[in-house]
Amino acid sequence: MGAAVQPAEASAASTPVADAPGRIARLRAAALVLPGVGWLVLFFIVPLLLIFVVSLGSRDALDRITLANPSLDNYAKAFDPVFIPTFLNSIRFATITTILSLAIGYPIAYWISRYGGRHKVLLIILVMLPFWTSYLIRTYSWIILLRDNGVVNSLLQAFGLTSEPIILMNTDLSVILGMTYGFLPFAILPLFVSIDRLDPNLIAAGRDLYASGRDAFLHVTLPLTMPGIVAAALLTFIPALGDFVTPDLLGGPGTTTIAKNIQELFLAGRDWPYGAALGFVLMIVTLTGTLVALRTLRREVAGGD
Amino acid sequence: MTDRHDGSSIDLEKELVRYMVEHRISRRYLLERIALVGGAAALAPIIAACTSSGGSASAAPSSAAPSVAASVAPPSASPSPTAQPSPEGALNILNWTDYLADDVIKSFEDQFSVKVTQSFFSTTDEMYQKIGEDGGDYDISFPISVDVPNMVERGVIAKLDKSMLPNIVNLGQEWANPGYDPGNTYTVPYMWWTTGVGYDPKRIKEEPTSSKALWDARWKQHISMLDDWQEVFGLTLIQQGHSANSTNTAEMDQALALLEQQKPLVRTYSTDTIGTMTSGDVWIGHIWGADRFAIQETIPDFAYYIPEEGGVKGSDTVATFTGSPHPVAAQLFINHLLDAHNSAANTNLIYYMGPNAAAKEFIDPAILSDPTINPDQEIVDKLEELLRLDQSVRDEYLSRWQQLRG
Repeated sequence: MGAAVQPAEASAASTPVADAPGRIARLRAAALVLPGVGWLVLFFIVPLLLIFVVSLGSRDALDRITLANPSLDNYAKAFDPVFIPTFLNSIRFATITTILSLAIGYPIAYWISRYGGRHKVLLIILVMLPFWTSYLIRTYSWIILLRDNGVVNSLLQAFGLTSEPIILMNTDLSVILGMTYGFLPFAILPLFVSIDRLDPNLIAAGRDLYASGRDAFLHVTLPLTMPGIVAAALLTFIPALGDFVTPDLLGGPGTTTIAKNIQELFLAGRDWPYGAALGFVLMIVTLTGTLVALRTLRREVAGGD
Repeated sequence: MTDRHDGSSIDLEKELVRYMVEHRISRRYLLERIALVGGAAALAPIIAACTSSGGSASAAPSSAAPSVAASVAPPSASPSPTAQPSPEGALNILNWTDYLADDVIKSFEDQFSVKVTQSFFSTTDEMYQKIGEDGGDYDISFPISVDVPNMVERGVIAKLDKSMLPNIVNLGQEWANPGYDPGNTYTVPYMWWTTGVGYDPKRIKEEPTSSKALWDARWKQHISMLDDWQEVFGLTLIQQGHSANSTNTAEMDQALALLEQQKPLVRTYSTDTIGTMTSGDVWIGHIWGADRFAIQETIPDFAYYIPEEGGVKGSDTVATFTGSPHPVAAQLFINHLLDAHNSAANTNLIYYMGPNAAAKEFIDPAILSDPTINPDQEIVDKLEELLRLDQSVRDEYLSRWQQLRG
């Protein structure tokens, strides 16, 4: 909070009194930013610092956190190879979920933007409608669909396509279905915004220059909506990487994710400092990966122009 | 204030799911959440230290740790052992729903003119938060036995005044010296249950008796294990002829090897056995015994057995707290619960066996004749209670568990 106000005041001191309107505008801007900054500090920076502080500590005999001998031991432990398979699972699920969400979300966003007409708002509300129900209940309804005596298997058997239930639940498929379903709206919204902002005249101009519909899409629409695609990919990939609920509820013996490992360290292991360290490492890895990916993408987009 | 974050909120939601599938009993399912108590309590001084000054951060937790047992003693000073101390006018119980028979409470109120107030919780996490570090406003609650040593060491649970508990003689011989509380110094056992194997007889035509049935390739992809390392290793170790609380890493490795063999057959590691069984996904699974009642609402002939090699048992205790506002009434109430008639009344309500040997003659014959609730002595002797293991031992198990699950 204080940090946000200070620059405005400092600059005010150095500017002449005649510049008062600018100063007021700046103060007003600072005031508008304050709630957001406060929110970030309170609910992001402070918890993050707390996790970091805890991760330096250790457990006393009664499993309470103690900071008596702060050390980086937990970080050394966090690179235990036991976490590799689950980390790879997380990456795999997040990647597939992101690709599917983009592949499914882009045509939907495109269609709503181009052909939604006066129903656009309604259609977007429909995309967001699932958020009105708890994510957990929606995930649970996948179980009702996929279980051995669930809707899908009942239909397959009713139509004589299978005689015995086929195993859908507790597989990679069920996890990917559940995650893609859950994260799809996060992909559609930014895609819609960027597609909707695209001036149709640009596509028309491309067509005038003898581009086929396909060429116009590849050389005009796609590059110009790339920021939306990147935003959609990030908004899907990052939460998907940390997803714990979906693999836990829909997954089987081979779908354990790193988030589950972290949860186990906290609860089953009663080792908060170790869990905090692993969580912090995961966060750094995600953040670094995201920044690298963003930079590469930006360079590519720039190079493409 | 910072008590519920990270995994706990997710688990709470999971709890909600459980209600959706019509359950009411198994709280062993919630066991893992208890971990939050120690951690959450410990986090408070850290936050305080972080917000005020850096210097005291290390001092607060470290000084609290070793001296707990000694320093928390003063408020606990148990009621003076006079012949007939008169109870306070009220008693506050923190309880599961449907865990105490109404008659038992009423007879206590009538006999001692004490107004009993019950408050309820639905997860152990919630209970431990309400109890806090000295019991809060509550006189009586029902901690799970594995948590008792930690709560005693933290000075949460008050020592019992045995002179006020003449009915303690009613306890069965096997409860005289439980591992979690030798000599029942701080707690009295309340109810106990088993973890075993449940199956759908429509799918499993034979009648399995061993936990080895969970390794039977014929049920491939239709076998489930609990998502609880201590239970899973416990069952496996017992099958291999070891203690469920083994601290021997070679035995742990053996158990892990056997579990690795089983993994390709397993459909899911889940504590939501009510869901996985009723969905038809799982035909035979490692389940908490009490969950079978909920499963039987969907699969009436659902069967449950305690493995012939022996099994894991768990129990709830009755405890009173160092900050208890009505210590005399609390002791009297614990004695009241130990009464044979009252213990039987509670068993008849909730279908758990109590540790009360004298109560048996008053228990519903249907319960007594159910070998899964009231097993023969021969089986009871083979049951082993999961203990709270040392940190280093727990870490050994958890890392093997994560290796199995990875």
